Amino acid sequence: MKANAPLIGALILAVSSAMQCIAAPARAALRARVQQQSEADLHGTARVRDRAVPDAVVWLDAPNAPAARAGGPRAVLDQRNLAFVPHVVIVRVGSTVDFPNNDRVFHNVFSYRDGKRFDLGTYPVGTERQVVFDQPGLSRIFCNIHPGMAAYVMTVDTPYFAHADENGAFTIREAPGGSYTYHAWRPGAAELSGTWASDWGPLSLVWK
Amino acid sequence: MRALVLVMSLACVIHPREAASQSLTAEAAVTGGYSTDDLAAVAAQLRAFGETKGAWRFFGELSWAGRSRDDVESDAFGAAYPYGKRLDVIEAYGERLLRPGGAIVDVRGGRFRPPFGISSGSDHAYWGFLRPPAIRYAEFLVVSNTFLEHGVSVLAGVPKLTVEAAVGAPADVGDHGRRGGADALVRVQGYAGRFIAGISYMRTSPIETAAIAPGRATFTGIDARWMSGGVQLRGEWVDGQPFDGATSTGWYADVIVHRTHMGPVTAIARFERLDREGLNEAAGEYLSRETLGARVRVSEGLSLTVNVLHQSGDPRYRPNALDVAVTWSVRSR
Repeated sequence: MKANAPLIGALILAVSSAMQCIAAPARAALRARVQQQSEADLHGTARVRDRAVPDAVVWLDAPNAPAARAGGPRAVLDQRNLAFVPHVVIVRVGSTVDFPNNDRVFHNVFSYRDGKRFDLGTYPVGTERQVVFDQPGLSRIFCNIHPGMAAYVMTVDTPYFAHADENGAFTIREAPGGSYTYHAWRPGAAELSGTWASDWGPLSLVWK
Repeated sequence: MRALVLVMSLACVIHPREAASQSLTAEAAVTGGYSTDDLAAVAAQLRAFGETKGAWRFFGELSWAGRSRDDVESDAFGAAYPYGKRLDVIEAYGERLLRPGGAIVDVRGGRFRPPFGISSGSDHAYWGFLRPPAIRYAEFLVVSNTFLEHGVSVLAGVPKLTVEAAVGAPADVGDHGRRGGADALVRVQGYAGRFIAGISYMRTSPIETAAIAPGRATFTGIDARWMSGGVQLRGEWVDGQPFDGATSTGWYADVIVHRTHMGPVTAIARFERLDREGLNEAAGEYLSRETLGARVRVSEGLSLTVNVLHQSGDPRYRPNALDVAVTWSVRSR
């Protein structure tokens, strides 16, 4: 019996290792399932009465959210056909927004009211300027040469935000499950806010 | 006829397959003003512009403007549009802008302002100046802001250096239009840092009839802009002959201050001079003018512009003037 002890020990070790190998994928799958449940894409729609609102932005308060990574995604506010494209941009605090000029005429982008204040000066076709939006709030963007040009940059202190598409639909990516205070804004209207839990289903935003 | 040109120009660039517009913006601007030159004025511009699904861009602009009196010598409110109490097609063109490998290639066809110097209508109409620079006023027989071309222009280069060439025929608006014929223009523009400069050359038909203004008109211009911290300096220098045997040389320098702490206020100043030889003696041999003013963006679509100016040299013009205008603009997308 004593002579068989090393053999039995090796057998136990082998079985244990085999069980670990079998259990690892199962645990990973379980972890993924939990992750999927806790970090989900949250959907919703924005409307004015029955009409879809394409330029609405929505964000969730998340004071404990992970800090933004340096050099994160950049947003672009193009100057094209004598207009800012898109009309509304939402970015996280610390984000850089590029302002390329893709018109043959000069533009002079500036913001003087709320939010980030700057004046980029005049610059020709094919060139661009950048602005870092380092404080939360709404910045109203104009061109000093073309009075009809206007756009908005909403800077939010949360990674959980979205911009409504042409049908008023929006998706907030990878927001942890739970209850949130949400905010929504669109040009020319007051900000909406309220409470929303991720297991309540799609968030329906309606401006009266 | 001009409405026909507008329609034809747009039809040329909008292929049937692309007729469904990817973007279309309509814009209206209405201006009312008063000048101590004993003038009141009202003007309206309608614009439509956008881009087709085939990435062709289009732009059309109609203008109507009138002044209370025609018997007063004044260029008040003539910064970019004629005040003839007529409906004019200003620009109507199609354009294709390409960016191959970071380069710029742009082809424009139709009816457009000749790209000589600082030529955009917005550059002259909306910065806060209510009068054109003297070297940009048709009555002084120079390169007017109311010159328009029927033709084609091609711009090519890289963002730091572009060359533009245009060929066409004069199709001016206003009371002082060039007579017919072919003309050509070339412009080179470059920038370094915050400094942008251009050189333009234009050979065209003179304003007035051949009996009064024989030969050809040729002009060379240098323009420059520099801007930093909300302070812009810009200007143009033009030298040339409005017709055989006459010369016009002039310049203007603008200071435009729009620092962020000034909020909705843009302060402006202009210093300019035009010297002429061989022209109408009644107009004098020179015009010198200094302008101070401001433009206030009262709300998103409403602005107030005030200019005070002093001028000398041209005996037909009052030495001092105050111009005030309110512009309301609205845009639908």
